[in-house]
Amino acid sequence: MIRPARLAAAATFVLPLLVLLAIWEAVVRVFDVSPRVFPAIEPVAQAGAAAIADGTLIRHIGASLGRIALGTAIGIVLAVPLGVAMGTHRAVSAFFTPLLRFFSVLAGIAWIPIATLWFGYGFGAITFVIFNAVFFVVAYNTLLGVTGIAMPLRHAAASLGATRWQLLTEVLLPGALPNIVTGIRTGLGFAWRGLIAAEMIATNVGLGYMLFVARDFYRTEVIVLGMVVIGVLWLLIDRLLLAPLERATIERWGLVRAA
Amino acid sequence: MRTATASATVPLEVSPWQRLLGVYVRWSSRNPWLASVLPFVPVVVAWAAIAKSGLFPPVFLPGPVEVIQKFGTLMANGILPAYLEDSVVRLAAGTAVGMALGIPLGLLIGMSDRAHRMLWPVLLFFQAIGDIAWLPILLIWFGFGLTTMIFVIVYTVLFPVVLNTVLGVRSVPIELHRAALSLGASKTRIVWEVVLPGALPNIMTGLRNGLGFGWRALIAAEIIVGTSGIGFLMFDARRAGSVVEILLGMIVLGVLWYVVDSWVLAPIERATGERWGLVTRKD
Repeated sequence: MIRPARLAAAATFVLPLLVLLAIWEAVVRVFDVSPRVFPAIEPVAQAGAAAIADGTLIRHIGASLGRIALGTAIGIVLAVPLGVAMGTHRAVSAFFTPLLRFFSVLAGIAWIPIATLWFGYGFGAITFVIFNAVFFVVAYNTLLGVTGIAMPLRHAAASLGATRWQLLTEVLLPGALPNIVTGIRTGLGFAWRGLIAAEMIATNVGLGYMLFVARDFYRTEVIVLGMVVIGVLWLLIDRLLLAPLERATIERWGLVRAA
Repeated sequence: MRTATASATVPLEVSPWQRLLGVYVRWSSRNPWLASVLPFVPVVVAWAAIAKSGLFPPVFLPGPVEVIQKFGTLMANGILPAYLEDSVVRLAAGTAVGMALGIPLGLLIGMSDRAHRMLWPVLLFFQAIGDIAWLPILLIWFGFGLTTMIFVIVYTVLFPVVLNTVLGVRSVPIELHRAALSLGASKTRIVWEVVLPGALPNIMTGLRNGLGFGWRALIAAEIIVGTSGIGFLMFDARRAGSVVEILLGMIVLGVLWYVVDSWVLAPIERATGERWGLVTRKD
């Protein structure tokens, strides 16, 4: 099934990471680094096996992913219609653009203090932080996308007798889709960081919490395990979900200018 | 062109509402500065009205007047300027170090295939770990202090700068390289006069992205590390249950970033793009 060319590409991608692992192990051994400063590979692997065996790792990952999925879903569902609605007339978009810019630069982590006060520590506050990281960035990008659609396209559809609904589903949404997907990717980047930060502060389950509690007990092997898990999860989300989605929408609906 | 096509769709009978919208479009394009401030007026008015209506208890949502008063007192007793200075200095120092490391690294990876093969996956992986996940172990290494915060910002700024520099270096057409070579340019001159200027627009984009992530990381670090700064001001207020300072902190952060982004970074990005950007000719 897997073509040899892809296998070779995967090998050249994985090889430097293996080298990195070897350097890690060598440095810890040669300089006799204290496990309180940085762990060797073996304790990290053991911590990983133990956390998988007693189900805590799955629980933390599940909590984190559940929050991010819910917050992102609510954010996208609210942001896209709003962004499209604001983009339909030039005056409306001129009015809302500065507002959305302001709130999208504020999106995410800066809301943690007030979110924890409004919703209390826990699920509500964290989901709210993720929601607003996604919401404002996606709404702003949707607005940019809709206003960026060439006027002749809208006029062409209108003069061919398109209804408002057809204009929406066949011109505005497809035209704005590349921007919307870019917005989702950026927003999720902010949300992911916001999630980790919020979990360190405001909850008792989740990857951020796992890291921060381990710090209290100087358990560096759990911290490093958590960092690796966070890195791998984000790579999977970004490379397997977001990047292909972005590529596909840009190829399919992006207004590629004919040469 | 644009007005001509737009007027074609306007029906003969223009409703007063449409006329008003048209007036706003023209007015906002003539006064961009005012037009970027005006939309905030109804937001503040609505905020004041909601706060006044008693829908939420004032402890949860104080009005704009209280926030402005708090701004006055915190400015007068010097806390806000001092915290603001702390935050800005940290961000500036972290960004400077991040760029000093990131640009040469990006040039190296962009120009050498071997470096690219070796370092690219490692870069992607470390970028994916994300700045904030480093905080716990940094706290063990460096304690609650400046080093931890600077490290986080350097880390955050570094990756967007490196990745975009690589992108920029690779976007320089090979013809320019060959032209400089055949005119007898040395390797260092090629770097200085071909590669770096060619990559500059991308480097600026990287800087802008990096700062966007970097100042979020700074807030998180100040909340968690908590010694001074705007993030600390907000979280300290949260512990005391005082929403006024939190809202004030958010507004200060928002305004500061808005100003830096739209009056400093965006113009620089545009200027480098126009000055050095490799504008592809449309035919």
